[in-house]
Amino acid sequence: MGSFRSASDPAERSDAEPTRGESELDTLLTMVARGDQGAFETVYDRLARPVYGLIRRVVRDPAQSEEVAQEVLLEVWRTASRFDPARGSAATWALTIAHRRAIDRVRSETAATEREQRSAASPVAVDEVAETVEATLEAERVRRCLDGLTQLQRESITLAYYGGYSYPQVAALLGTALGTIKTRIRDGLTRLRDCLGVSW
Amino acid sequence: MRLSRRQTHELAGAYALDALDGAERDRFERHLHRCPACERTVRGFAQTATALAMAAAAEPPSGLRERVLSAASVTRQAPPTLAGRRGRAATRPGSGVTGRSSGSRSGRRSPWVPRAAVAIGAAGVAAAVALGTVQISTQHQLNSAVAREAQIAAVLTAPDARIATAPTSVGGTAVVVVSRTQQKMIFTSSGLPALPSAKVYELWLLGPRSARPAGLLPPPSGGRTAPLLASGVAADDKVGVTVEPAGGTSSPTTTPIVVLTLPA
Repeated sequence: MGSFRSASDPAERSDAEPTRGESELDTLLTMVARGDQGAFETVYDRLARPVYGLIRRVVRDPAQSEEVAQEVLLEVWRTASRFDPARGSAATWALTIAHRRAIDRVRSETAATEREQRSAASPVAVDEVAETVEATLEAERVRRCLDGLTQLQRESITLAYYGGYSYPQVAALLGTALGTIKTRIRDGLTRLRDCLGVSW
Repeated sequence: MRLSRRQTHELAGAYALDALDGAERDRFERHLHRCPACERTVRGFAQTATALAMAAAAEPPSGLRERVLSAASVTRQAPPTLAGRRGRAATRPGSGVTGRSSGSRSGRRSPWVPRAAVAIGAAGVAAAVALGTVQISTQHQLNSAVAREAQIAAVLTAPDARIATAPTSVGGTAVVVVSRTQQKMIFTSSGLPALPSAKVYELWLLGPRSARPAGLLPPPSGGRTAPLLASGVAADDKVGVTVEPAGGTSSPTTTPIVVLTLPA
């Protein structure tokens, strides 16, 4: 493929510090909104791994995951003008789209049937997160914070987010009352947020 | 069932993880409009979920980059929503990370995260190309061109429009937008090499048993071929392109330069 850097891409970008990554991605997305294909290549390179990895976790099937990832990444290109940095980071914007598309896919009827068949064959491993995520610093940090939750909080969050289950489904899977799951997800996310030092 | 304010408030976590379904999600979104504190909470949870997503990062298949970048190069971008922007800021503080996008289950459309079908339909993958390249010289041609444009637009904006792209063996990228309900598809391409005048690119619908001719691609202009509309697309059809003698043939005589599986 072509150059990673577009004409309007400042030279210092290549050695940007990781902490600058987020706001830099915001800037790149603003350039993408103006039709800058070079900027889109860089955005692709930043987002393709988390987008694909997240979709893969939820959807499981590699071919379907690839299809959804392609739709999502193309949607990032197409709707970049709708991104508003005042309301959250570019990464959150894109990964929100990715998660919703993945959920749409698994909750559609045909997919649900296939998925039920698969999960009947192999029960969901709740702690799979810790095993399969790549050993990046972020993954380590997230795993440490997940370890700090109660078991029910952790299971509720991972089943809902990575498993793509609705919270009534999570309650059924864990044999726990609906209200309890609702509260555990909320409390768990609060702890996770504080542990990760998310600014909001 | 009507939830108390406190109960609704409790749903912020499940909402941020997309773990609410239909009616409950809609109810929570209505609650969000009136609850700036909830909006802030949801935003913090959405950022937290982003960290969970980052932790799941995995290497995508090698062909994805090329396909996405090729598709982007022939996909028109959505304009910014001007009036909506101001209105949203005033009335929907939460819509930034909260607007639900999944099309089929609720009719609502978030300005922030558009529905998939709309995203692809309105993508107008080829509409701009079409308008730029249609040659109009008589009233009859004008009428049929307008009718053709309308049919193309109908496919592009169909709620079930889906896009597929693939590189061809002679270079360039083939792009197909298909609407299953309309049984129609639009084919366009970028970067196909020009052919000598005695040759033409022919489009085929490839069924399990036979190949049906689906039209001749207009000669590439400015690196692209104008959109070609094909009807009668069957559920198990694939789409192929071959190089044939000028005028086309009734069945393929050469190996296809590309075969696309249509998205479901």
